[in-house]
Amino acid sequence: MGIINVKNLRKIYTTYKRSEKGFFASFFKRKKIEVRAVDGIDFEIEKGTIVGMLGPNGAGKSTTIKMLCGALFPTEGEIEIMGYSPAKDRAKYVKRIGAVFGQKSQLIFDIPPADSFAMNKAIYGIPDDVYEARLREMVELFGIKDVIHKPTRVLSLGERMKCEIVMAMLHDPEVVFLDEPTIGLDVIAKATIRDTIKKMNQKGVTFILTTHDLGDVEELAERVIVINHGKKIFDDSLKKLKLLLGNKKIVDVSLAVPFEGDSLDGMSVNKNDDGTKISVELDLDKTEVKEFLTVLGQATDFTDIEIRELPMEEIITRLYTE
Amino acid sequence: MRFKVYLACIKTAFVRATAYRTDFLLSTIITLLSNILFPIVTIVIYANGLEFPGWTMWEVLALQSIFSMSNGIASMCLSSVLWATMDHVRGGSFETVLLKPVSPLFYIVTTNFSPSQVGLFVGGLVVLIVSLINTGVSGIWGALGAFVLFIGGIVASAGFYLIMAAISFIWVGNSRLDEISSSITSFGNYPIGIFSKGLGIVISFVVPAAMIGSLPAQVLLKGAEPLYFLGLIPCGLVFVFGIWIYNRMIRRYEGVGG
Repeated sequence: MGIINVKNLRKIYTTYKRSEKGFFASFFKRKKIEVRAVDGIDFEIEKGTIVGMLGPNGAGKSTTIKMLCGALFPTEGEIEIMGYSPAKDRAKYVKRIGAVFGQKSQLIFDIPPADSFAMNKAIYGIPDDVYEARLREMVELFGIKDVIHKPTRVLSLGERMKCEIVMAMLHDPEVVFLDEPTIGLDVIAKATIRDTIKKMNQKGVTFILTTHDLGDVEELAERVIVINHGKKIFDDSLKKLKLLLGNKKIVDVSLAVPFEGDSLDGMSVNKNDDGTKISVELDLDKTEVKEFLTVLGQATDFTDIEIRELPMEEIITRLYTE
Repeated sequence: MRFKVYLACIKTAFVRATAYRTDFLLSTIITLLSNILFPIVTIVIYANGLEFPGWTMWEVLALQSIFSMSNGIASMCLSSVLWATMDHVRGGSFETVLLKPVSPLFYIVTTNFSPSQVGLFVGGLVVLIVSLINTGVSGIWGALGAFVLFIGGIVASAGFYLIMAAISFIWVGNSRLDEISSSITSFGNYPIGIFSKGLGIVISFVVPAAMIGSLPAQVLLKGAEPLYFLGLIPCGLVFVFGIWIYNRMIRRYEGVGG
């Protein structure tokens, strides 16, 4: 039994669809539609893991996270986290979790983050000495000593997001939900946030993060859950996800003499305009690298070669469209 | 523990309200001035020979100042609850409230305390003092009875705000909810005698708007009638119903796209 156990989770909304006859017709009569935002998801997560939740826009990731946080009542199904039912035991349960919604701030917009932190200290009943030590540690980790005393509204996105994470971590949660925590951030801010997540995880904190940034997943997650149209379509290790489209590698080759033709020993070839750079998707189950190099040497006069993994973007795109 | 949380949230609300100092000062002064000047309409009515039957000008001003004070306290504590709830529901950010390990209503009420509404109370108090200098009170028991009914009026006012805030969970983005609440409570701003008997009973004992101004003023100026105190029951019921319906409506919250 994991720290997070989800069985047959569903969330069905009723919403209204505007009439195709236009605004006037919609004003008098609107068509009710049922949206199955989450449609029968099951999973179990062990303590201390980092799970990446992927899916295209509108797939149901955020709705799932909100139900896991206790902020939304499921229409059907069961959620059990650390022995709590999030929606039913909300007040006790949320004391032991942290959450960051990348697009919805928990900081109070008009006042400095330090004031929001102080309010959370009282709400979560954090002892003074523990609060001081934890705040100091996190502020140093993120390098935001001066930032926390400026009004939240004047902070950059990166600064705000770091403060959001501090806000979510001050009470030392055991499980943390991060909904697009690196959205819109520059590479340095992303790296700092990823490092912090890793450090917290080493202390035993369990993370579930939804993201569109595959870099977050590649760098942090041991396990990946892919959701599309409210259903779970993949749930395994990152390594398995990479092998989902087969044991394939991309071989990029630079040539002294332009390549002519569209295939190499039956494998399709992508080439640049003048034909001096080609790339081939190599299926290692059919052709070994050694064999391919022999064929390549016979067919071309290559000057450089690079063998790389199939890009995650490509794997995910194919998974979403399948 | 809970009191500590309450103090921390109220402190945050003060810090937030005073973050824009000019806005805070202007709002407070304008609310104060507009409430000190509110008697102008009543004065004009009486200056033109018209009147509310059985009520002198100073008595009507005392009634309206009690209404203003009652509203002022309820507004300070709860008027922003409606707007805050409405904004959270429309913007899909109510989950940030639900993440706090306290009652969502408690959190919304305390962090949205509106100190600038103090002008409404102080303005009413100034007019009440001036009015009472000119009318006197019906006696110590009348004053005590009026105070009890005044508290009932605050409770009823708070209940109306909570009910409107609860409706905002299903009637998303309706900016007229505040006006609906004000329209209901405004019945308490006039002597009951000007309404028909049936309406008078309704606003005293069913939808207790009269408890916000007219009944406490009646008791303060003209003496206590035991029947008036029955109006405290619907005040309590409106308040309890407001809390219940608000908490119930939270289940209906569905968020918006992530």
